[in-house]
Amino acid sequence: MDYDPMVMDDAESVGPVVKISQADSVRTKFELSNADISFANSLRRVMLAEIPTIAIDLVEIEDNSSVLADEFIAHRLGLIPLNAEGADSLLYSRECDCEGHCEHCSVRLTLHAKCTGDENMHVSARDMVPTGDRINQAVGTPIIADAEGLGPLILKLRPGQEIKLECIAKKGIAKEHAKWAPSAAIGFEYDPHNKLRHLDMWFESDAKTEWPPSEYATWEEPPQEGEPFDYDAVPNRFYFNVESAGNLPPDTIVGEGIKVLQQKLAGLIHELTEGEGGDGMNGDYSGPRSPEYSAGADGFGGGYATPYGNGGNQSSWGGAGGTTPYGTTPYGAGQSWS
Amino acid sequence: MPRATKFTKEEPSDAGSDVAMDEAPTSHQPESRDDMSIDPNENEEVEEDEVEEEEETQRVRLLPGSTPTAASFEFLNEGHTLGNALRYIIMKNPDVEFCAYAIPHPSEAKMNVRIQTFEGTTAIQALEKGLRDIQDLCDVVTDKFIDSREKFAAGISA
Repeated sequence: MDYDPMVMDDAESVGPVVKISQADSVRTKFELSNADISFANSLRRVMLAEIPTIAIDLVEIEDNSSVLADEFIAHRLGLIPLNAEGADSLLYSRECDCEGHCEHCSVRLTLHAKCTGDENMHVSARDMVPTGDRINQAVGTPIIADAEGLGPLILKLRPGQEIKLECIAKKGIAKEHAKWAPSAAIGFEYDPHNKLRHLDMWFESDAKTEWPPSEYATWEEPPQEGEPFDYDAVPNRFYFNVESAGNLPPDTIVGEGIKVLQQKLAGLIHELTEGEGGDGMNGDYSGPRSPEYSAGADGFGGGYATPYGNGGNQSSWGGAGGTTPYGTTPYGAGQSWS
Repeated sequence: MPRATKFTKEEPSDAGSDVAMDEAPTSHQPESRDDMSIDPNENEEVEEDEVEEEEETQRVRLLPGSTPTAASFEFLNEGHTLGNALRYIIMKNPDVEFCAYAIPHPSEAKMNVRIQTFEGTTAIQALEKGLRDIQDLCDVVTDKFIDSREKFAAGISA
């Protein structure tokens, strides 16, 4: 196969291009062009939901005389952004060899506050203290981003009330729970002039005057008056706005997102190539299979091995494979897909 | 219907008083009890279970009815994130006649990909090539992003 995946058609002949228009500690705005919408969307989805970070997952409450219920506080603790720097090298607690949790798969934080004054006391993320060993000195520390340096408010205590608890922060992804989301939000936008008509804008009298132009409207040529609709056009420039929740810097979110996507692919490639021996694809094959099929094609193992292994067996596939398996399986009978 | 007759037999004893676990209908017994009774040595059973858990579950399989040039694959724990990009990149391969993906049911973490190729290549090769192509694409975008970030940083400091 002598084609270059990067040379896709005329418009994409130069390959994908990235242009950053804004970058600071909170957000990165960049334009991804000469890429397909499917890839851009994969990148968006992976940054949103599959980058591992760390968040409080277990809370052991020793003393709670505040007005808030234990589980209410536990939920609030879970949502506090923690520094995820190096969370990559942290193990998932479920994959760790330890019993329960250890310093290789978790970070321990303690909170102990008692209101001894006459006025109500504010307990905030600043008061959470990481204790015990950690894989590095940053991971698991609560993110303090406000000017006062307090961090998110957890609860308030009346004089005499006390809270004492211990938290276990674990690694996870936002697909499982949103508390592990690295990004506060990801803006994703294309075609600011709606030339492709993917949007159907609601309007009272005129959509053009009622809808404010996108900030990227000046980046692209506005449509000409009376320009015919190009039904072959596909979106080609995508505007991302990656906003961090503080646990990972925004540029790291982009880098990590691509990395996660690559790991996903690498895992699948590994599994596919591992199957070259023959039984890789159908080791625990247990799906519906008609008796004629397994008899005719000599199981699935032989069939799978051929295309990869020696070409000599190919003929047996061509004879039997061309007709028998296809005709007799649920596919042929139309039972599998309805 | 041997099952039904068994039920009617045991029901009278069930009706009046409490029944010991072993005498309860099989459907009322915990499932693991079945395995235990087959293997007299319980410790060995536990060890075997642990070994099985360590084995990685197979995440791709060929669906029945596949031929070398026209195959359907089932991916576990994958979704639109991979599906759509993979579909696109495989379709870009000139040796591929057809490629599509589907998530048959939203509450099952499964994604199906159908690939049909022209003569000279196989669906599995096309799939592998597709995966590698996205990897290459990711590499390029990573490089471009790092370049762009450095250019942007240089622009600020200058």
